[in-house]
Amino acid sequence: MRVIVVGAGEVGFHLAQRLSEEHQDVVVIDSDPEQVEHAAQQLDVQTIMGNGASISVLKQASVKTASMLMAVTSRDEVNLVACLAAKRLGVSYTVARISNPDYYEPDSVLSREQMGIDLVVNPERECARETFLLLKNAAFTQVAEFADGRVQLVGLKVLEGAPVAGRTIRDLREEFEGGYHYVTAAIVRDGKTTIPKPDSTIEAGDLIYLLAPTSEMGAVPPLAGYDRFELKRVMIAGGSPEGQYIAELLEEHGVDCTILDRDRRRCVELAEQLPRSLVLHADATDLELLEMEGVSGVDGFVASTGNDETNLLSSLLAKEAGARKVLSLVHKFEYLKLVPAVGVDTSVSPRISAVNAILRRVRRGRVMTVASLSRIGAEAIEFVVGPSAPIAGKALRDVAFPKEGVIGTILRGEEIILPRGADVLLPGDDVIVFAMPEAISEIEALFD
Amino acid sequence: MSLRKVANVVGLLEVFIAISMLATGLVALGYGDGDASAFFLAAAITFLTGWATYLATRFDDDVTAREGFAIVTMAWVATASFGALPYLLSGVLDSPVAAVFEAMSGFTTTGATVFSDIESLPHGILLWRSMTHWIGGMGIIVLVIAVLPYLGVGGMQLFRAEVPGPTPERLRPRITQTAKLLWLVYFGLTAVLALLYGLGGMGVFDAINHSFSTLATGGFSTRNSSMAEMSPFIQWVTILFMYLAGVNYALHFRAATGRLVYLRDEEWRFFTTVLVVSAIVVTALNLIAGSSSGPQSAVRDGLFQVLAITTTTGYVSADYEQWVPGARMVLFALFFVGGMAGSTSGGVKALRVMVLLKAVGNELRRHLHPRAVLVSRVNDKPLKAEVAARIVGFVILYLLLCLAGALALALTGIDPLTAIGGSIASVGNVGPAFAGLGPTDNYGWMSSQGLFVLTFLMLVGRLEIYTVLLLFHPELWKSRRAFH
Repeated sequence: MRVIVVGAGEVGFHLAQRLSEEHQDVVVIDSDPEQVEHAAQQLDVQTIMGNGASISVLKQASVKTASMLMAVTSRDEVNLVACLAAKRLGVSYTVARISNPDYYEPDSVLSREQMGIDLVVNPERECARETFLLLKNAAFTQVAEFADGRVQLVGLKVLEGAPVAGRTIRDLREEFEGGYHYVTAAIVRDGKTTIPKPDSTIEAGDLIYLLAPTSEMGAVPPLAGYDRFELKRVMIAGGSPEGQYIAELLEEHGVDCTILDRDRRRCVELAEQLPRSLVLHADATDLELLEMEGVSGVDGFVASTGNDETNLLSSLLAKEAGARKVLSLVHKFEYLKLVPAVGVDTSVSPRISAVNAILRRVRRGRVMTVASLSRIGAEAIEFVVGPSAPIAGKALRDVAFPKEGVIGTILRGEEIILPRGADVLLPGDDVIVFAMPEAISEIEALFD
Repeated sequence: MSLRKVANVVGLLEVFIAISMLATGLVALGYGDGDASAFFLAAAITFLTGWATYLATRFDDDVTAREGFAIVTMAWVATASFGALPYLLSGVLDSPVAAVFEAMSGFTTTGATVFSDIESLPHGILLWRSMTHWIGGMGIIVLVIAVLPYLGVGGMQLFRAEVPGPTPERLRPRITQTAKLLWLVYFGLTAVLALLYGLGGMGVFDAINHSFSTLATGGFSTRNSSMAEMSPFIQWVTILFMYLAGVNYALHFRAATGRLVYLRDEEWRFFTTVLVVSAIVVTALNLIAGSSSGPQSAVRDGLFQVLAITTTTGYVSADYEQWVPGARMVLFALFFVGGMAGSTSGGVKALRVMVLLKAVGNELRRHLHPRAVLVSRVNDKPLKAEVAARIVGFVILYLLLCLAGALALALTGIDPLTAIGGSIASVGNVGPAFAGLGPTDNYGWMSSQGLFVLTFLMLVGRLEIYTVLLLFHPELWKSRRAFH
């Protein structure tokens, strides 16, 4: 399948990388020679230099044979024009990255019916949504959504004395009959990720990944030893677009929110747009001010300036001061691994968040969704069972499934099934699979 | 700054005033009280002066903002001066100062009068008093803009300088259309009220006079006892229409076109809440103290006086000076509130009071969070810091003006409580005040100096202070050209 990615910036580069790893034929277009050069050297993709909104450049990228175009430059208007041009040249599925909220209104002309753009994604908003989910579920270090949010994959640390600590997966399934509605997708112990078998044990201190219907997730934290948690007060350091969207989500959910920025003009803008939040003109690393404004008593703290170093420093200060859950936005890929090491609870990468948001909603052959858990090197993928797939029609216990992977959840229409050995997959089922990268192509073959 | 332009526009305005005098004169002729000739003479003088000035000072270019302020102020001064002619020429008043006071009180919809026996006045004079209310209520300039589009772009400058409230709403892209719609709503409400008064048993003459006075939030009555001896039905109808006159006319217009947007307007909610709460408090205090005339009339009188003062109409249905101190103090506070921006009422305006309260709330909050960036909101829309500051500045200036007015009155030998009441009632265009200027008194006993001060205060209050005070600012005159 041929996919054209317009824009080789942060989002475009990462998107092209992920698509290329999924064995799609990717063409990257960008007008900045350095970006193009960077993509050409690092990725197995074709690169073209030029304006992705120009018909002649698109023709050069053999747009007629492409089945998808994703316009993800940082300029809304370029993305829009590129999508419109591609649609006219016969591309069946187009994705536009749009940041300006004015274009987002419910009856916007950008809707699929009026303009033919199939998917509009706002990266800042996606990042804010992920951050919000992590704030709301304080125990989780990672949350990924599948099937329009009906199924979630969460990661959390098992605490000392937790009900699940010291038990095998089989025990848990039997003991909590009707209560443990979860598929344990991965256990990370001492930095090593394993896909558990029924006789694997969960120990205190493990980082575990669970897949389950979203409605069942509320019961997860107590099982792992966490207290009931209610998000009441949040402080956001940094009035970036992401910070503002997080504040908006918090306001919508009635959470008391304080947001600060060091630019006075930006503060006025924030105060105008966030009627229920307290806006402070202050630096994200001003510890004295953070303490005066009660950072020690907040349930959540988000460092969301545009600068990674400031974010990490700010979240460390907040953690030191006693904020309960501390989150940092981290743009640079290299810093992501640093987050647990420096003591910050968890991080969100705006870039990965944006790419996930796109891949989650776009069907590429058999693959629907991918959540890349970069920190532990695993992926969650949503497959569609093909009509003549080798895996279809057999009881799962009779399928030779690679041991670096596990079937998490089966979605059959409205029904969400947690797989047991006797379950049989049918063509058309959506299946969420959790796997290490080396097993992915083998698994893909089972579904095709 | 071109005085030529100022004279030109003001001259044209006086032609309109002459027409309204002529109309009043015709009615006076019908009643045959002998005052008709005074009106015809006044109309002739006003018309000739106005028309000659207009012809002598024609100009081609546009009116600037500076000229706008001068035009509006001078228009009101000239209108009150010419408007005093019928009182002098008919002989009901001898003192020119008293006559100008009566005319200014009429046009600014204050409703303060120097007459002690109103019922003895000829019909023509009574109608002229109500007529000045009605013309001044929606605004002299707004009337002219509605009829004559010749002011062009400059019209907006004038409109802004005359319409009450911080920022007049435009109902239509063109200012002429907006002015027309406002007058249409005003006219419609006046007609409905006159009909209701007729239904309530008022004679045609009284019905027209009182409907003029009520919709303009004026306060002149054709009766010595104002509204006190009217039937409960008439009083209830008056309560309703005083309220309507105190509401932003843009909201009425939207309602007339089928969009009932009152509840969505924050200022409306604030204004209505203030009225309801004040009326409940006043009534409760009066009932606890033991009202002489029974609960039904206590409720009606409470509502009536709260509305009469808050909307700055100044009608009287009960002598509120006999009320318990608490109830009187509530009324005193209401002297400052005024109606909504974009209504015909005076006072500070509910919108400004609301913004002031929000600013105070923000200041308190800033003590808790010294680095907070706080933005006030009206109707969920953020208010720019400069606008909020200007509104706070206006309220302070308003209070200072009341104080300065009281001081000036006290210097003429009036006792302090009366001076304070008179000053506040004049700046707010209310009419009756306290002590020597209470609801059962009139302004007839005052010295010429006192009346002159009050005339000035009424004008400054009606034009919302800045328009008039700017004329005293030297910079306005800096680029002054020769009068040619």
